[in-house]
Amino acid sequence: MASGSVSITIKLFSALREALGESEFELAISDISEASEQVDVAAIKALLSQRGAVWKVALNQPNLVHALNHKVVFTDAMVSEGDELAFFPPMTGG
Amino acid sequence: MSVSLQSEMIDVAAEYTELVGDRPGAAVATFTGYVRDHSDQQAVAELELEHYPEMALKVLEDLGQLAAERFELSNWRIVHRFGPLAVWETIVWVGAVADHRGEAISACELMMDTLKTDAPFWKREQGPAGEHWVASRDSDMARRARWQSGEAQ
Repeated sequence: MASGSVSITIKLFSALREALGESEFELAISDISEASEQVDVAAIKALLSQRGAVWKVALNQPNLVHALNHKVVFTDAMVSEGDELAFFPPMTGG
Repeated sequence: MSVSLQSEMIDVAAEYTELVGDRPGAAVATFTGYVRDHSDQQAVAELELEHYPEMALKVLEDLGQLAAERFELSNWRIVHRFGPLAVWETIVWVGAVADHRGEAISACELMMDTLKTDAPFWKREQGPAGEHWVASRDSDMARRARWQSGEAQ
């Protein structure tokens, strides 16, 4: 994987968006993709958790939902350049 | 066979007419959900509905297709609102057209039970005690699970 420009889009919703003060941003994954051949959702969570205690707590809630390219996935789902990864609490529509 | 995500009120009569169209089936079932004036925790004055537009559209389109295949629907429609909603306004509307009442009613139930837990919407209630995000309910998860276990058919 080429370094320097590999990035994904992160989206946050609901209480998670409020707690972290961001709704959408680009995340460079070049660093972790160089360290290991594959990058999964768990690796992205670990990277974001380094932003501080608030991020670590928010992203490690047991009921946190992860959606990769608009589909709910487990933390072992693989992430690639250009993907959209969203984090949010359980859904309460209807 | 379509989905609408909209901020404006749902015109239930117009939706019904459009659903049935010029090819009525033998059985038409619909469900309309309204904003209640109370929750488990407090009186509710207003509701704010946040959503994830691209994913909500995909999830609801897939859900409509699933219901159509499972219950042999000749038509279906899901309408879900977002943004600020006043008490007693419509929040969701689903409709299904089938050959028999059982299929039409079950299709509406499947669509509602699934969208409550699988479609990316989040309710924020405003009442006398302030604002808070609505927590997911175990009873909703249980109703959703019935369709996966085969208990509901």
